Parts: sequence; structure tokens; C-alpha cells
Amino acid sequence: MSRKALAPAIVTVAILALVVAVVMLPLALTTSDPAGVLQTFLFGPFRNLRYLGNIVEMATPTMLCGLAVAVMFRSGMFNLGVEGAFYLGGLATVAATLLLPMPWWAAAPVSLLIGSMVGSTVCILPGVMRAQFDTSELVTSLMLNFVALFVGLFILNYFLRDPTAGAMASYKIPVEAQLPRILPGTRIHLGTVLALLACIAGAIYLFRTRSGFDARLVGSNSAFAAHLGLPIRLVMMRSAAIGGLIAAAAGGIEMLGLYTRFSWQTLPGTGWVGVTVAILARDNPILIVPSALFFAYLQVGGDLVGRNFDVPIEGVGLINALVLLIATAAAIIRNPKLLQLVSGDNSATMSKNLPKAEAH
Amino acid sequence: MDPASIAEFIAVALRVSTPLILAGLGVLISTRAGVLNIGIEGMMLAGAFAGVVASAFTGSAPIGLLAAILTGAALGCLLAIMVHVAKADLILSGIAINIAAAAGTTLLLFLITGSKGVSSSLQSQVLPSIDIPVVEAVPLLGTAISGHHVLTYVALLGAPLLAVFLTRTPLGIRLRAVGEKPEAAAAAGINVKRYQFWALAASGAFGGLAGAFLSMGYVSWFAQNMTAGRGFIALAAEVMGNGSALGTMASAILLGTAETISITMQGGGIPSELVQTIPYVVPILALLLHATRRRRLLKRSAA
Repeated sequence: MSRKALAPAIVTVAILALVVAVVMLPLALTTSDPAGVLQTFLFGPFRNLRYLGNIVEMATPTMLCGLAVAVMFRSGMFNLGVEGAFYLGGLATVAATLLLPMPWWAAAPVSLLIGSMVGSTVCILPGVMRAQFDTSELVTSLMLNFVALFVGLFILNYFLRDPTAGAMASYKIPVEAQLPRILPGTRIHLGTVLALLACIAGAIYLFRTRSGFDARLVGSNSAFAAHLGLPIRLVMMRSAAIGGLIAAAAGGIEMLGLYTRFSWQTLPGTGWVGVTVAILARDNPILIVPSALFFAYLQVGGDLVGRNFDVPIEGVGLINALVLLIATAAAIIRNPKLLQLVSGDNSATMSKNLPKAEAH
Repeated sequence: MDPASIAEFIAVALRVSTPLILAGLGVLISTRAGVLNIGIEGMMLAGAFAGVVASAFTGSAPIGLLAAILTGAALGCLLAIMVHVAKADLILSGIAINIAAAAGTTLLLFLITGSKGVSSSLQSQVLPSIDIPVVEAVPLLGTAISGHHVLTYVALLGAPLLAVFLTRTPLGIRLRAVGEKPEAAAAAGINVKRYQFWALAASGAFGGLAGAFLSMGYVSWFAQNMTAGRGFIALAAEVMGNGSALGTMASAILLGTAETISITMQGGGIPSELVQTIPYVVPILALLLHATRRRRLLKRSAA
């Protein structure tokens, strides 16, 4: 590939490196061993197979949440119910494994299916309300996240709580419902494969199917889509349903893949990371995979620093926020001068022909 | 309920509504200028934090308040710069400010106090309460509306003042023109970006005020994520208020009353988790009601 074509990617990577440095350098300087902090943060995650595995494990739920966000944002819906859908999906999946009698082979798939359907309501309700009553899906989905949290805590406390567990936690998830580990020496589980397949399926859906095309058209120019006679309400509700199902399944997969009990007392924040993952990937399902791996790498580095030094891991949250802030900043990430500088192409007027920032 | 407990209930409802009114007015300024400030939640949180830290280090509550207002306003300016100068997406930048505020306040709290949860080791100050002369002596009425936190009165007076500003002053009318028809406003010689910049700064300042109330009045400390979605509830209040300052205040008081009911219901036999959903369910129902009513009005005007 020519330098010119790679220029946007290089600019993005350079900006990511800059953001990481801006947050981590001052943080490292507050400790007695700044070099050690930086070294642990940057290279620690690659030190052994277990940490590498941690990256993949952490990227799995954010990959799925990012995909859910991408599908909904592409159709022009600012549905932020991903966070609540992820939480409720995890809880409902665990509830299904504990409360429903099932043959061993059905435990995981049936519970995941039930969990996905229950959890998806957090995205579907705002979508339906937007389509039918034109209420802001932004506001209603933000509210529903909290409703999902408290309803989930209610179910946990009254129906799933193991009184012998000490802290507020559910009974143990039956072993037969847990997803199989697929790589010895790590905790990487079948869910990672499912997440990768989902991203490929998401790309096919968005770019190779009729309904995916409709969704993108509604998202990029709803007036034109209406003029063509597309069923806009249906497209909106379909996108919300697909996004909700994916996000809720992510919660269920996370539970069955890595946990032995359900014990989330607050919203875990995975959905918000998913928003950042999707935006950095420009709502492209294939690019979501490296994007999720990048944020998981930061998270693992942050965890290692938090465990070994007196530096809180919230620095990683700050990096996420800055990346989100900058990733949509067309004037920075698509700056014609910057791109020209990187590609070394001074004659080009190509910058003028660059597509405008994707509207969200 | 006897009259005394009704008066007590009104007093609590006003207290609970205060941050919602202040934040709601902040959202209103931003939407009227056409730049929805979804970062209000993060601006509240940052304001609450700044108020506690500044008042603890200076020993002065007014300086804490000032710090809270300036912090909120600075984040509002940041949002405006991201949107207008860096050409970033408005909503996503707002979300980023929320994430940054949540992570940043926890980080700074840890660096300052060594604790990630609450700021109880800081000697932070609280803002005073005000007794209204004459009214305070009236039984019941005095309990209900006198002796409130100074920011409660700021909120109650701020709404009519903002209403006058938006509808009766040239500046306010131009601000609304920017929000309604930016092209027309620009053609009339109004600097759209400048108005939106100041609108977001003012919006952030209101968010900072709401945050200062939470950490320097409602309680006397800062806790991780203490805003708990109040900024988002304020977004709902603004939508329900139909773009008017008084409507926003009324909606905020309605939602605050719902939250008060949920607080008084706790320990009343109903599982507390379900009671806690009330402040979030009521805005959704209210928005639905609002939307169906608006639709009926539209149909009638079309017929």
C-alpha cells in the first residue's frame, strides 16, 4: 500500500501514542519509579502468555459491545443502552442457568439466548419509543441503564443470592453452563471465537445485505431514505434489536466465560468502552477487532501498573475519554496538512476531495 | 399525612430537586443555542469535586463555589472548542467529557487523599442555608420554604431570570435564533459559533453549580460518581419543559418529587432496589406522555 493510503492510519496511531503519553507520563512522575511504571504499562502486557491472554479476554466483551454500538450508530440511532443491556444480559443469563432445569448440553446456549433477549430490552425500548413516539433515544436509553441496574440488583438479591457467599453474589454458575477454555495457559474461552464471528457477520450485514444498506442509508441521510420510501421506523427498531441482542449476549458470554458467580453491584462500564471502541473503529465491524484489542491492551497495562505501583487504574479511563474526544475530531484526525506531512505528498490537492467526517 | 409532614415533604422535595433544576437550566441554555450539552453529568461531577477540593484547601466555601462554577464552565468551553475548532461530534464529545470526569475525579481524589471512594479526609466547607425573614416564623410554610440551602434559592430564582433573559433580552433572543435557524442568524450578522461557545460555557457553569450543591450542601463530601445520573435526569426535565425555563424548572421539581417519594418509601416493605428505579422510570413515562400529547397537538393543527 502506498504511503498516501496509509497516512490516515499513521496519523491515528501517532495521536493514540500522544494521548497515552499525555496521561501516563505525569501519572508515572507522581511515583518514585517513573521508568518502571511506564515500562510495566507499555511492555508488561506482552511479558507472558497469561497477560497476552488477558488482553484477548478483555477485548471479547468490548468487541461485542462496540459492534452493538456500531450497528445502532450506523442507522443514525444514538442509543446508549449498551451499558444496561450488557449488565442485564449477564444477569439474565446467569439467572437462566440457575433457575431453569435444562439438559447439560442446552445450559449454555439456551441461557445465552434467554439472557440476550431479556437484556436486549434496554436497547429495544428506546428504539421502539423513538420509532413510534419520536422520543429522544439518547435520554430514554440513559435512564433505562439505571433501571436495568436496579432491577438487576433486585433479581440478584431476591432470587439468585447465595447467603453463604458472604458478599452479595449469586449461587455458583453450574459447570456445564460455563464456556469451554480454548487455549491452555490462558483464560481465553469460546466467547472470543463468537465475538470474532459476530464482527465478521456484522460487516457482512452492514455492507453486503439489503437491510444493512437500508440501515446505513437511514443513518446517513434519513430524509433521502424517507423519499425512497424506506420503512424508517422498522429500520430503526431492527437496528436497536440487533444492537441490543449483541450487547446483552456480550454480558452473558462474559459471565459464562470468566465468572463463577454474578456479583456486579454497579454498571461495569463495558458498554461505554464499547462506544469508544466503535468510534475509534469508525463504526466498521472489522476494525472493531483491533480497536477492542488496543483498549484491552491499555486496560491490562493499567491493571499491571495498579497492582505493582501506587498508581490508580483510572488513568486508563482518562485515556479512553481522550481517545473518544479526539477520534471524532475531524480537524485533527483528518487534518489535510497533517496527512500531507505524513504521506510526503505536497503536490496533492487530494485533501480537498477527502470525504467529510462521518456524521453521527 | 398530617400538615407538618407535608411541609417536611415539600422541604425535602425542594432539596432533592435543586440539582435537577440547576442542571436542567444548564441543559436548556445549551439546547436553545442548538448545542445539546450531554456532558452536563460530567460537568456536575467535576464541579462537585472542585468545590470540595478548593474549599478544603482554602478553608473558604465561596471559593469552593467559584471553583465549581469555573470548572463546569471550563468543561463547557472545552466541549465548544472540540465541536467548533476540532470539528468533533457534539454528542460523542459530551459522552467523552462524562467518561473523563468520572475517571479524572477518581484519579485526582486518589492522588490528593489516597482514597478512591470518598473525600471524608478533606476538611471541605459547606455553603450556608438561608432563613427567609418573616416567612421562617410562619408555621408549616416556614418549614417548607425557609431555611434552605443558598443554591436552592439560586435555582428557584434562576429559572424566572433565565426565562426573562431568553425571551425579553436581545442577547437571549439572538441566542435562540442561533439555535432555531443558525443560517438565518448568521445571515443577520450573528456570530453563531461565539454564541454557542458562551452558551456551552454557561451551561457548564450551571452544571458546576448543581455539582457544588451536591457536595457542599446536600452532603458535605465528594464520593465517586456521586451525581448518579442526575445530569441525565436533567436532560429529561429539559425535554419535558418544552424549551422554556419555567417549564424546565417545573419538570425538574416533578422529577425531584418522584425521587423524594422513592426516598421516603425506602424501608416501607417494597424492595428498595425497585423503589430506586422510580427517579429513572418517571422521566421515561413523562417523555412518553409528552410525546403522545405533542403528536395529538400536531394532528389537530394539521386537520
